[in-house]
Amino acid sequence: MEQVRITINGSEFSSPVGTTVLQAAKQAEIDIPTLCDHPALAPIGACRICVVEVKGQRNLQTACSYPISEGMEIETESPRVVKARKLVLDMLFSERNHFCMFCEASGDCELQTLGYRYGLDHWLYPTYTKPFPIDATQKFFLMEHNRCILCQRCSRACGELVANHTLGLRQRGTDTMIHADTYLPWGESTCITCGTCLQSCPTGAIIERRSSFTGRSGQTEKTASTCSQCSIGCGIKVVTRGGQVLRIEGDWGAEVNGGLLCKRGRFDPLFEGRARYTEPLLRRDGKLSPADWDLILTTVAERINDARPDQVGILCSSSATSEALHLANNLFRRQLHSQAGLLNGAVPQAFDAGLLSDIEGSDIIIVAGADPVRAQPVSSFIVKRTADRGARLVLVAGKDNGLSPFAHVHVPPDEIGKAVEIASRAERPTVVYGDAVTDAQLNALKALEGKATFVRIEPGVNTYTAASLGINKGLNTRGLKVLYVLLGDQDWDGSGVIESLSPDVFIVLQGGFVSPLAGRADAVLPSAIWSERMGTTVNTDGRVLGLSAAFPPDGEAKQDWEVLQLLAGGLGLETGGSFAEISAAAVAELKGKEGR
Amino acid sequence: MMPKVKIATDWLAGCAGCHMSLLDMDERIVGLLESVDFTSSPVTDLKHPPDEGVTVGILEGAISNTHNIEVAKKMREKCQILVAVGDCATFGGIVAMRNLVGTDQALERAYLETESVCGGLIPDSDELVKPLPMVTGVDKIVKVDLFVPGCPPRADAFFYALTELLAGRTPVILPPELFTYD
Repeated sequence: MEQVRITINGSEFSSPVGTTVLQAAKQAEIDIPTLCDHPALAPIGACRICVVEVKGQRNLQTACSYPISEGMEIETESPRVVKARKLVLDMLFSERNHFCMFCEASGDCELQTLGYRYGLDHWLYPTYTKPFPIDATQKFFLMEHNRCILCQRCSRACGELVANHTLGLRQRGTDTMIHADTYLPWGESTCITCGTCLQSCPTGAIIERRSSFTGRSGQTEKTASTCSQCSIGCGIKVVTRGGQVLRIEGDWGAEVNGGLLCKRGRFDPLFEGRARYTEPLLRRDGKLSPADWDLILTTVAERINDARPDQVGILCSSSATSEALHLANNLFRRQLHSQAGLLNGAVPQAFDAGLLSDIEGSDIIIVAGADPVRAQPVSSFIVKRTADRGARLVLVAGKDNGLSPFAHVHVPPDEIGKAVEIASRAERPTVVYGDAVTDAQLNALKALEGKATFVRIEPGVNTYTAASLGINKGLNTRGLKVLYVLLGDQDWDGSGVIESLSPDVFIVLQGGFVSPLAGRADAVLPSAIWSERMGTTVNTDGRVLGLSAAFPPDGEAKQDWEVLQLLAGGLGLETGGSFAEISAAAVAELKGKEGR
Repeated sequence: MMPKVKIATDWLAGCAGCHMSLLDMDERIVGLLESVDFTSSPVTDLKHPPDEGVTVGILEGAISNTHNIEVAKKMREKCQILVAVGDCATFGGIVAMRNLVGTDQALERAYLETESVCGGLIPDSDELVKPLPMVTGVDKIVKVDLFVPGCPPRADAFFYALTELLAGRTPVILPPELFTYD
């Protein structure tokens, strides 16, 4: 790429053409303060805190939006620049309520940090105190307009990244404020509570309700992990303090989601209502009662030994780690020669798979057999923002699909031919398909092979690994004597399977949360939940993603793979070796991961 | 022997927290007393700065009513270097929350609408000071020479500022770890 030579504060640097002054300075490790700018958003140069002196320019220029050019000489902390920045800060502090001592964001506030940096020990101008309302109509976060500096990071994130366009500005001048839709209470607006605005806010204007006043960032620990809610596998940071999860943040640096999360990923795990299994339970005299690990593993091993291989089956939740699925496959199918089934189905691997990020480059998007708005929301953000940039969205679905309001063309499921015809005239069509896609639809879509990019969205968190192992459909329950359910965090009551079993089938439940299935289970093996789970998962793109535990498993609970390993040992079978060996073996078994 | 440097303190609309933080210098106060004479303060017997004046005047609290203006002006008159300490004296602080609702509404809420009030009355007498329509920092009324923000300023910040002043090093620039808004 063509390089441009520039001088910053007297030192020479070179950066690619098209780079902004701010980006060039960052590459040169020179810190230019910002407020309205955010790396994930397009710069708007609104707050003017990033102004720099550019030789030959009459006025100071905003570094965030000013592109570099050959021979440009820039001063980032000259007296003129510092004076201008202090003026900006004095003006910002002169409006609304920026008293730190009773603010939730104090200590983590970007405005406060700049006040410190430029030594604002008093305010030049009288404070302007037109009171603004507080909007607390949202369950998860609230908007304190009095702390807002109108940087618009929230509304830009809502529009540019999530493409939901709920937030915007209303009024003019000193009356300007952020509003949802046409000034609706936020809780009654089109907001989908993904919390991207919350994560983007530089001050205490948008604050999370549950975790507010529970500690500054520096007092918390952050564990980088992967969201366990769906097959997108968003990068998260689990923020904890004193053994409690305070909140979940999207990881701005994660390739899959670029910081975005949905309501299910960001908030739902914090409001988990189910109780935990913290000790192994065994049914004795008709009642589940505590037992130690040795006894329970021996009992389960005996039951498995007593049955013929075809009378034993394991039913895996797709939310299990790759390690657990690998061991389950190794133990039950390869060594015991029994069967293994998948709780949630898998999508037929009909085409060469494209990546979620491929959607962004398309001019026509066909969505068929999928409802990403409901099932994999972050992928719907990608679809929506691509449509914002001019791509046509052709939705092949019933009327109740979550993407319906955004679709340019809505085609009934049995008329997919129309969608194929539209796409065949496009230059870069993408087909996004999910587990509800029918054989007829797949046949019709074949006409686009070689032209379109096909993006498969798996229904379950780690369906990719399960399907790679050949665990991709339900279990044949005929003649079963022992049913082992690897349930993970999944909320499943056994419907569709349990009713077909005879009453004497021995049911083993390995899971983290108390499940309605326990009413029928004979043994319960407690396992780690999302915040305690370690291992890997593979998202719908085939990307291998790490899960890190923020806490050790509660009580006597163990990691899923550890329990399966102990069981294999109890059966006198091959246990798979160390965690690292299991992990490597699991990754080696993935199919179609080339180029991931 | 050098004559001792005279320091007077007083408070305006504040919570006394800044004075508590001043006392939190603990045994370092004893050391300071070798070169400093604390002439008067709200927490000692002598409340008002001496007629002959002091070198350093320290004010805690915001300008919230007519009496605060009087006290601030008096201190300014009697001292050579005026130090505003705490967020209330520097910015308006907690007291300035009143600005968000307005003085009249705050009085109504406090004296008429509060749940425990029976037959409420907003105090109004010539003997009483009058609340101002806007709460401000001290610098909006008199010239301030040094600001030490913080809620309260850390004892170390007090000690640092006083030590610098005694050594004649001005302007006093608080180091980052002592410069805080909360």
